[in-house]
Amino acid sequence: MRSLLLAVLAAYVVAAIHAVLAFINKRRALLRVSEYAMAIGFVLHTTALIADWALYGHYPLFHLRETLSFLAWTLVASYSLILYRYQARALGSVTLPLVSILIFVAIVTRAEPSPEATSMSTTWLFPVHTTLLLFAYAAFFVVFLASIMYLLQERELKLKKFSGIYHRLPSLTTVNEIATSSAAIGVTLLTVGIATGMLWSSARNGRVWQNDPKEIFAALTWSLYILLILYRSSARWRGRRAAWMGVAGFALVLCTFFGARLMGGYHVFG
Amino acid sequence: MSIVLLGVNHKSAPIAVRERLAFSEDACAASLRELVDGELIREGLIVSTCNRVEVLTETTSGRFDDTAERVIQFLSRSDVPRDFFEANLYKHVDDSAVRHLFRVASSLDSLVVGEPQVLGQVRRAYSIALDAGTAGRVLNRLVHHAFRVAKRVRTETGIGANAVSISYMAVELGKKIFDSLKGQTALLVGAGEMAELSARHLVNAGVSRVMVANRTDTFAQQLADTFGGEAVNFTRLADYLAEADVVICSTGADDYVITETMAREALHKRRNRPSFFIDISVPRNIDPAIGKLPNMFVFDIDDLESVVTSNIREREREAERAELIVESEIMQFQQSLRALDAGPAIGTFRQTLQDVARLEFQRRRAQLGELTPEQERAIEALLQSTVNKISHPVLSQLRRSYDATDADKIEAWRDLFGLEE
Repeated sequence: MRSLLLAVLAAYVVAAIHAVLAFINKRRALLRVSEYAMAIGFVLHTTALIADWALYGHYPLFHLRETLSFLAWTLVASYSLILYRYQARALGSVTLPLVSILIFVAIVTRAEPSPEATSMSTTWLFPVHTTLLLFAYAAFFVVFLASIMYLLQERELKLKKFSGIYHRLPSLTTVNEIATSSAAIGVTLLTVGIATGMLWSSARNGRVWQNDPKEIFAALTWSLYILLILYRSSARWRGRRAAWMGVAGFALVLCTFFGARLMGGYHVFG
Repeated sequence: MSIVLLGVNHKSAPIAVRERLAFSEDACAASLRELVDGELIREGLIVSTCNRVEVLTETTSGRFDDTAERVIQFLSRSDVPRDFFEANLYKHVDDSAVRHLFRVASSLDSLVVGEPQVLGQVRRAYSIALDAGTAGRVLNRLVHHAFRVAKRVRTETGIGANAVSISYMAVELGKKIFDSLKGQTALLVGAGEMAELSARHLVNAGVSRVMVANRTDTFAQQLADTFGGEAVNFTRLADYLAEADVVICSTGADDYVITETMAREALHKRRNRPSFFIDISVPRNIDPAIGKLPNMFVFDIDDLESVVTSNIREREREAERAELIVESEIMQFQQSLRALDAGPAIGTFRQTLQDVARLEFQRRRAQLGELTPEQERAIEALLQSTVNKISHPVLSQLRRSYDATDADKIEAWRDLFGLEE
């Protein structure tokens, strides 16, 4: 399994290097290499995840190692969707290096043996709950990236001083649209993800709310993004303010993902 | 074969010189036929634009001075004394000529680096030469290669990416803010030449609606008619502001025509949709405080100029990368040209035959007994001329195959005589 994941890493690293070079040099030929490498990486990665599932008998989203790898997979999937819909290739120069790092960490992380993993997998709620939430995280990452791109460009437009980055980023309208639609998708996934979590929890011990740090952060995150979407749709907070919210929201997402893990609680796993 | 280019451009010669040398399009074809004699100059092409007059020729190798002389005479025609322009003339041979043409076609040699018009002009010059029958196998290859280089430079570098004229900045800003100008609305306040030019660029970029406001309504109507736009009432500017995604302002007013209050109101009505303002008037007609409002961007003439300056610098940086592409393409072109050149193949062939004759002579030398040096030289000359006479028809055939770029036949000749690449 490790060797397959190494191949995945190699493909993503090639994709990342070419995406970054293409971003710097504005060369389309490099982008093509990057996209092919990413496609190969994604296919291998999908195979690796399925093989993991078959080999260890539990949905491959339990240990930190698995979660990181799965998160990388959702990021690549989300980036592919954005490529398809908006051709916003600039996002790849950040996403692909991050994906490579996640896979690298996943490879060096030791797999801890745990009997719970298999028991968890008996319910269909486990894969649904976790998968939805990881895709929500990926969507919020996209919102974050698009928001940063918006803020950088808006700042330069206001100051009328254009740096090299300005010429390489997609237009304000495009990044704004990416942020808006990703936020909507992210919130939908988060809502259903939290709901399935509650369902699962009540099935286990009758309680919907365990009051652990992860849940509290998730609730905060959810409220913030709901607010963001409401503001956007009422058109009161278009542009910069919404973008700042996209950045702040992602800080909460990080807390939900890592912070809760450090503080411990009901959600013991990655 | 040799490629020779002589010419003047905006850097080497003042307009007073360039205008005297320029060829009109009609005169071009006839002049070309006069220049190309099929003997010394076998192919020719004239690029004559407002920034350059260049004569590109394909000539017999090693006769650069003769060619240059011919072209100078040709340029001076009957009415331009050669002293008048000779000092401004640049002369390029072979690699250097190829480099020059590649740089011209890629717009690296232009007044404003990266402006695409020059490629069209080279294209036009080539088609005139084709019609005149003065573009043959070498220039065909060379010009097509130049088009390829220009395309590579355009797609692989950002040389033409950023606006370098103030009137075009509106389009560029529009693309940055709205992604595409298709379906957007522009409002033109006042009418200056620059504002009109900007509006024209906007319409070309896809702006679907142009409103024109002017203190004099008839003037507004006239201007509106030229873009298929609509004239709107100047006193109700505040209302139209809300509908405009792009506002270009250039009036002679000495106070703000568009105030912050008006903009704030428009922003509210637009439900915070972004818009941008271009103020080309001096004194300014748009309150700069509007730039502090969210989703509104204001550019005055100084801002535009500084952006244009920085864009030109950015283009120059990209031009350095373009030069590398040009260098690598020169090498490729030389390689493809070598396949066209019969000279080396014929030289090798002739040498081989001469060597055979000389060796045979040496082998039999002892049997000939005592010979005077004159006799010895006579025998050598006899052998040489026999070899040349016998091989002549073969060599002409070989040369003809090269001239016709008949790759199969060339290959056959090579095989037949064991010629190496």
